[in-house]
Amino acid sequence: MTSKRWRGFEFRNYPIAYKLIVSYTLLTALPLLLLVYISYTQYARSVEEQIGEYMPRFLYQANADVGKHIDELTTLPEILFNSDSILAILRRTSYTQRSELNRDQYAMNSYLARTYTNGRNADVLGVFVVSNDRLFSSSKLNFKETDWSRTITDYAAGIEPSGKVRIILPDEIDVQFESDVPYVFMLQQINDVDNRKYLGTMLIAVDLSFIDDIVRNFEKNARADLWVMNPSGKIIYHTNRHLIGSEDKDVAKYPTLNGSFRTNATGQDRLVSVNQTTDRGWILLHSIPLRDLTERTDLVRNVTVFVLIGIIILTSVIGVIISYSMTRPLKKLTGLMKTVEMGDFQVDLKVQRGDEVGMLARSFNSMIATIRDLIQQNYQIEIRQKNAELYALQSQINPHFMYNTLETIGMAVEEGETEVVVDMVTLLGRMLRFSVSNQSKFVTIAEEVQHVRDYLTIQKFRFEDRVSFEIVHHMNENDFHTLFIPKFILQPIVENSIKYGLETRKTLEIHIAVSEEFGARSGKRDVVLRIRDNGPGIPPDRVIELEQSLKKSSLESRSSHFGLVNVNARIVMMHGADYGLQLHSIVGKGTEIMIRIPMTRGEAISNAND
Amino acid sequence: MSGLYRTIFVLLFIALLGSSCQSGPGNRYELVYSMEPVSSSGHSAPQSTDEPQRKYKIAFVPKGTEIDYFNYAAQGAQEAARNLGVEVLFRGSTIADAGLQIEAVERLIEEKVDLIAISANDPVKLVPVLEEARAAGIKVITWDADTLPEGREFFVNMVDPEVLGRHLLDTLASTMGEAGNYAIMTGSFSAANLNEWLKWINVQQREYYPDLNLVATVATDDDRDKAYEVANKLLMDYPDLNGIIGNSSVGPPAAAQAVKEAGKAGSVKVVGLSNPNLMRDYLHEGSAQVATLWSPKKLGYLTIALACNYLNEVLPVDGQAVEGVGIVRVNGDMVIMGEPLDFNAENVDQYDF
Repeated sequence: MTSKRWRGFEFRNYPIAYKLIVSYTLLTALPLLLLVYISYTQYARSVEEQIGEYMPRFLYQANADVGKHIDELTTLPEILFNSDSILAILRRTSYTQRSELNRDQYAMNSYLARTYTNGRNADVLGVFVVSNDRLFSSSKLNFKETDWSRTITDYAAGIEPSGKVRIILPDEIDVQFESDVPYVFMLQQINDVDNRKYLGTMLIAVDLSFIDDIVRNFEKNARADLWVMNPSGKIIYHTNRHLIGSEDKDVAKYPTLNGSFRTNATGQDRLVSVNQTTDRGWILLHSIPLRDLTERTDLVRNVTVFVLIGIIILTSVIGVIISYSMTRPLKKLTGLMKTVEMGDFQVDLKVQRGDEVGMLARSFNSMIATIRDLIQQNYQIEIRQKNAELYALQSQINPHFMYNTLETIGMAVEEGETEVVVDMVTLLGRMLRFSVSNQSKFVTIAEEVQHVRDYLTIQKFRFEDRVSFEIVHHMNENDFHTLFIPKFILQPIVENSIKYGLETRKTLEIHIAVSEEFGARSGKRDVVLRIRDNGPGIPPDRVIELEQSLKKSSLESRSSHFGLVNVNARIVMMHGADYGLQLHSIVGKGTEIMIRIPMTRGEAISNAND
Repeated sequence: MSGLYRTIFVLLFIALLGSSCQSGPGNRYELVYSMEPVSSSGHSAPQSTDEPQRKYKIAFVPKGTEIDYFNYAAQGAQEAARNLGVEVLFRGSTIADAGLQIEAVERLIEEKVDLIAISANDPVKLVPVLEEARAAGIKVITWDADTLPEGREFFVNMVDPEVLGRHLLDTLASTMGEAGNYAIMTGSFSAANLNEWLKWINVQQREYYPDLNLVATVATDDDRDKAYEVANKLLMDYPDLNGIIGNSSVGPPAAAQAVKEAGKAGSVKVVGLSNPNLMRDYLHEGSAQVATLWSPKKLGYLTIALACNYLNEVLPVDGQAVEGVGIVRVNGDMVIMGEPLDFNAENVDQYDF
């Protein structure tokens, strides 16, 4: 079952158009497509790998620069210890007078402004020192919140003591600057190293825009994202300002923190490069859509794909056209074959082409023509043959002849001419035997001559002196008795002669000669039978007409000379156009009919009859 | 024919599918390049400084356990011990004596401490026992007072001796108006650091202050009672004495007390190395003018911090920022903590040691 079903799907069973399109596609489009696909992916991959390899190095450098800058900034709190008066203020725990506190506030604030906010370091946005419930501050920007001083003081009170500088993200303290610059707080506890005491907490708000300058050095693509996270994924800085302070929850899924990887986590294929500093653990990330990297390649790819699709469509169309141009004649051929099968041979496959299909069409046409001709030929020969035989048979037992003969016999009986009667009856009997006994189409010359002699003898009995005849043969006896000729070819001619001759002449002489002669047309020796009479002759226009009807060997009209035409047709059918009747007639003098027949031996006849 | 169209469609579909970069479902992370070494997963935050596997035992040996200065230093050392997670043993002789100190060190060797940080009473006498300790696998550093180099790995010094020596004389000269007689009360003539400072005091005097006259240099043996006696003796022996420099912490308070009791407060200037707490009253009264010192707590802290690093095979380097202390300088095998602090009547209340 399965094998049968499979056979149904076999390639060779599909239409030619299908095969053509499949082959075209397989041979042209698919390899090209494969080539383009492979080269594209390889190129895109190598671009990715290149960027993926050098970007982490840039990031490492940039991260190091950022780290260095931050390191520089972390030294800022130390400046505070350079001033003894400032240390004195910070060490002070109590005031007896408000003015003293205010004086210290003033001194401290102006020192902070001088040293930090108005100092060399442009990245400092503000400085806040919380010490013994006092808040000293100097800031370039204002906070949105009005109670920011309380918030900062509370925050500073709540932190764990540590000697290290800590980076505090803006959202960890509930205060915000009015401007939207990216910033972080650097929190440093101020410890009195001499007294080993905690003096207070210093918060420096640092503008992170310097990261912009660092990263923009090597990435100018606006679609690339750059951001800095702390180890837990909190975004400290982002080229998209809105994302600062948010958390990157995927950081745990990143396959590496020092390198590059491809991801589609954001719904878009991106190449992400990462670098993490070893000291602070800050992660600098660079993310760029893969599209941007492979932009030019994508164009080539798209163009190629469209061209390929075009080629596929074109090949399909060509395939359809070619297959249509092939299958249409074939289909027509199939239809015509069906028609032929039904019996109609009048078909013609009209294909004016030089290719195989045209050759096929021509072969088909010629085959049909040949078949048609053969059928025609065999069919018509058969019909003619049958007609001729039928006619011959009819003539042999012509009722008219029988009646006349029997009447003659009757008269002879009345007159008591017994010998004549016996002869005539004998002759008639032999004639009848000739007609009936031998079913063969061929007889020996002798037999045929004997038959016509009998006929003429009977006629002579009837017409007495009005008819005289002479039969001679100029050939050896052996040939005369062994050569065969078509049966019943002499009697119709003689009948004709008697019929027309006795109409106009008082006496009719008939001369029959049998001879062997060299024939110019056949190129060999033929048997020639000549029947000559001295009848009225045939007028020339009538001769032309007759000759034409002999040539056509047409049997349509049962004309007055049907006997001649019939004999001629039978000879032509049996032996070809080289043989047949020839007519010579002179009006008033007579007519000679020459019958030319090939020399045929007995064995040939028996073969032909089979 | 339907099969034909289906095949064309399928081929086109495959072509399009192939050309459009394959977009798999779900989130994926595909590593392109990694700079990390293969062995480390490297996903965690960078390692904090190496935690010692077991708690290090560090012996913090002063010149004398009963001297205030060393007790303050011990406070700093204990603070460092808490912060750094090590055990600090404050051991030593009660008084500043080399022989007793050697015995203390021997006991520490038996205790198999990991490191001995010592303020040596004698730069030479301590060396054999320290070498013994080193032979026993104990690391040795010195602080406050050094030994010969072969006795220790490095020395944690408070100040540059030259800077300190010159500065001490400068403060005296400015309070005395750069003229007059003065005496020096040193701790002991055997302590290396004190002798170094003495040298620079004298150098400074010779270089800049020809009108100053050093009348005597006496030792207090770092003993309060002895110092008081010595100060009284100086005042008696040199009635025209204008100033006293003490170059160890017990000197200036004793001198100030003696000056005060002699009713010479203000006429005999008292300056020198001492704790603000010991000097506070004298400075306020005017019986002492300027006290100079560093924070002994800070020194203790720094010593333990550097000891801890040393146990972790990290030696101090010049410009190193030591947490809780600040930036230190390193000169050869000597670490210098910083600059000396001056205490006077105005600022002495800011300090608590």
